[in-house]
Amino acid sequence: MVATITAFAFEVAPAIAILPLASFVIALFAGKYLPKRGALAGIAATGGSLLLSLWVALTVAGGATYNEEIYSLVTTPNTFDLHFGLLLDPLSALMLVIVSLVSFLVHLFSLGYMNDEGEAGLPRYYAGLGLFSFSMLAFVFADNLFMSFVFFELVGLCSWLLIGHWYREDAPPSAAKKAFLVTRFGDYFFLVGVVAIFATFGTTVFAGPESFPTLAEEALAGSGGAGGGAGGLSTFGFGPGAWFTILGFLVLGGVIGKSAQFPLHTWLPDAMEGPTPVSALIHAATMVAAGVYLVARMYGFYALSPTTLAVIAFVGGFTALFAASMAVVKRDIKQVLAYSTISQYGYMMLGLGAGGYVAAVFHLMTHAFFKALLFLGAGAVIIAMHHRQDMWEMGGLKERLPIPYYAFLSGSLALAGIFPFAGFWSKDEILFEALVHGIGGSPLLLGGYLMGLTAVVFTGFYTFRMVLLTFHGEPRTHTARNPHDLGWSVKTPLAVLGILAATAGFVNMVPVGTILGLERIELLHGWLDHGISGLTVEHYGELTHDFAGYTTGALAGSEVLTVLLSAGISLALALAGAGLAWMLYSGPNPEAHTERLGDVRTLLMNNYYQDEYQVWIAETFGTGVARLSDRFDQSIVDGAVNGVSEVSLLSGDRIRRIQTGIVSNYATLLTLGLVVLLLTVGLAGGWFL
Amino acid sequence: MPTRPHLNLGSHLLPGLVALALFAVLAAVFLTSSFGEAAGFPTDVSITANIGYALIDLQRLGTIPTDGFLAALLIIAVVLDAALDGAVMLAKREGDEKLIGIESTRTDGGRPRDSAAGGTDSGSVSDTASDTRTGTNTEEAN
Amino acid sequence: MAVAVQYYLLLSAAMFCIGLLGILTRRNALFLLMSVELMLNAANINLVAFSLQYGNLTGQVFSLFVTALAAAEVALGIGILLVLYRNFGDVDITKATTLRW
Repeated sequence: MVATITAFAFEVAPAIAILPLASFVIALFAGKYLPKRGALAGIAATGGSLLLSLWVALTVAGGATYNEEIYSLVTTPNTFDLHFGLLLDPLSALMLVIVSLVSFLVHLFSLGYMNDEGEAGLPRYYAGLGLFSFSMLAFVFADNLFMSFVFFELVGLCSWLLIGHWYREDAPPSAAKKAFLVTRFGDYFFLVGVVAIFATFGTTVFAGPESFPTLAEEALAGSGGAGGGAGGLSTFGFGPGAWFTILGFLVLGGVIGKSAQFPLHTWLPDAMEGPTPVSALIHAATMVAAGVYLVARMYGFYALSPTTLAVIAFVGGFTALFAASMAVVKRDIKQVLAYSTISQYGYMMLGLGAGGYVAAVFHLMTHAFFKALLFLGAGAVIIAMHHRQDMWEMGGLKERLPIPYYAFLSGSLALAGIFPFAGFWSKDEILFEALVHGIGGSPLLLGGYLMGLTAVVFTGFYTFRMVLLTFHGEPRTHTARNPHDLGWSVKTPLAVLGILAATAGFVNMVPVGTILGLERIELLHGWLDHGISGLTVEHYGELTHDFAGYTTGALAGSEVLTVLLSAGISLALALAGAGLAWMLYSGPNPEAHTERLGDVRTLLMNNYYQDEYQVWIAETFGTGVARLSDRFDQSIVDGAVNGVSEVSLLSGDRIRRIQTGIVSNYATLLTLGLVVLLLTVGLAGGWFL
Repeated sequence: MPTRPHLNLGSHLLPGLVALALFAVLAAVFLTSSFGEAAGFPTDVSITANIGYALIDLQRLGTIPTDGFLAALLIIAVVLDAALDGAVMLAKREGDEKLIGIESTRTDGGRPRDSAAGGTDSGSVSDTASDTRTGTNTEEAN
Repeated sequence: MAVAVQYYLLLSAAMFCIGLLGILTRRNALFLLMSVELMLNAANINLVAFSLQYGNLTGQVFSLFVTALAAAEVALGIGILLVLYRNFGDVDITKATTLRW
């Protein structure tokens, strides 16, 4: 009986993605005629997805997993097949719950943000949200890299549709195009990587004995050295280790684009031009999360390559610091949040690169909650402020908007990493992993650790600068004195997420567990440690230990001391940043202290001129390539076409001259032809011998 | 002044070389091939009589093997008749050429002729045709 | 003593090529007609020669038909010649070029 229910839960699992797809169709074709323009269909669909996801998660918690092909696109004997399938293990089940929950709350919030504000194009908006949720959910339970790629691209398409929602204004379409193009640049490498993985392993399945991480592991273990093909795999002349590193980098291109890591992060701040609920969805659960999730999904493959791991860790650590520094000077509340998103995803990448698989997934989860909360809180503030986003026009909203304030505060504490909010536990675990693996024999990781640690100060500072400027002090404008009322559809998601942001960290309290010796308190660790063999934390730990040489070290030889020290340092730094913000901005009428930074402020306001140099590169190389292509097109393609017609014209003009109209000439030609024919046939047939 | 033929040499003879070349090729082929001994005809029978029999499908009366040609004989009769009709039709003077077919096959580009004659001679044409047909038949009978 | 058949063939080829020579070099349409007669008769020689070679009368009978066909051809040819003369005032075949491009 239990087995039947388990099987049934997995049977209906595709509906998790199909439901939002149905809401997409409904909103698109019937949205105009529905009372809330498709919102209710979307809420119902994502609500259904959430319930199904929870059911699947419960089933997975019971120890069952599912890894089946459900629809085959192309099957070729002996080479490879392209198929869609379901992989339901603890990781994907967890992510399904996160995505469908955030998506559900965003739909709910949109009622207040879009419907009540009388926005135009609502059916289009809800259709976009539905398709977005569908793509992300299908991406999450994909069982192979090919399917992941398909839905990865669909996610990109949806972000383009939604960021450019207000397409009549100037900025949103341009931001949408930028997001699309920049992520496409990364996805280009991803596509090459998918094809290369197909060519190498003949499969892109994530899990099972025939999956590509397993094959790669066997190849590396079997060859035991440099040179040559490994275990029947074609590695194109490279040693297997080097080739797997190249493959990892190719796929990483897509990850860096989607997860907005340096240097492809520039699209994300511009994506703030989209409606705020969309920003919440993009940043918390769907688009940006897709990149990190992909690395976690194929972590068994990345764990084999120390170079790739080091690069992931370094890029992550650098991005965390880099983005946090830019967030310090922004005036727009959504810009601050955008840079904090980049920074937080940097932490996740650092965690993954440092061998902290659980830590990164943990942070992915807590970040989904508190960042969705912060964006929705910012959305609530924006509604209240009649669509003003400049923090210097706000102030003193604390008394007037109590529920958003406390929710936002909860999210901010989580973001800054203040004990005991969610962000503290997950961020601390990432830093802890980087530290212990850094001490334990991979000193490179200490660099990433230091960057991450520095970013903690910035994070604390900009988070509280944002909170203080927005909610504390005296109202600085008329609008801030008389904010717009907020409906239940705005407050409910904030309340739910506020509680989650405060409490989600308790599922994996590593410091507490270590100090008290309670292994069982690390629930998430245990959760990710069961399921399909080869996709467990324990296995990943062995892989990083065996192939990347990650060993756990400890300060002064004491694990407890290390844990305490790591947690203490990061908490102290976060409090220092927050305290600095409090000192500078807590008064009734705070001054714009960042003005005093002078040139540094200009540099930060201009985002280190990242856009400028990327545009310069694009223009220089793009124009060059375009000019070459144009020349190629004009001379070779057009030349060939024109040449053909030129040749026929000319030859026609010449050849018609033999049509003299004089019978004798025709007869001569006929005879000549006959002679030639006779000679040819005769010589070939040997008549003259 | 009476004229006599004279050899007209010039570049217009150049195409003739092709004919010579053809002859050279043919000769080369013929002279290098062999056909074996000729079968020949029996000397004691009349070949002409046998031809006569063959023309009217009575070859079983003869002794030399041949096919029957009665159908061909009839067809060639009709063809000759048609050729004569055509020849006469073409040879008609333009003054009274308003006849079947000619109108649409002018060789001068279809410019209309100013002479408005025609139609009256159709009787005489058919007379001529029947005359010639008689003549042809007579010839063939010989 | 029968003459070997390839000499008949040589004779016929010679006649054919003489006819061809006439066609290729002469400009007067009447000469053209005569040359065509020559070529047809070259073919007749072949027919008769192979009739003897194989001891079968068909070739000889066929040559009679070719002769008849030649008569028909000449009849039409002269008719065309007359029209040619009427339209171009000459029987020079190099003048009749109005139907070319």
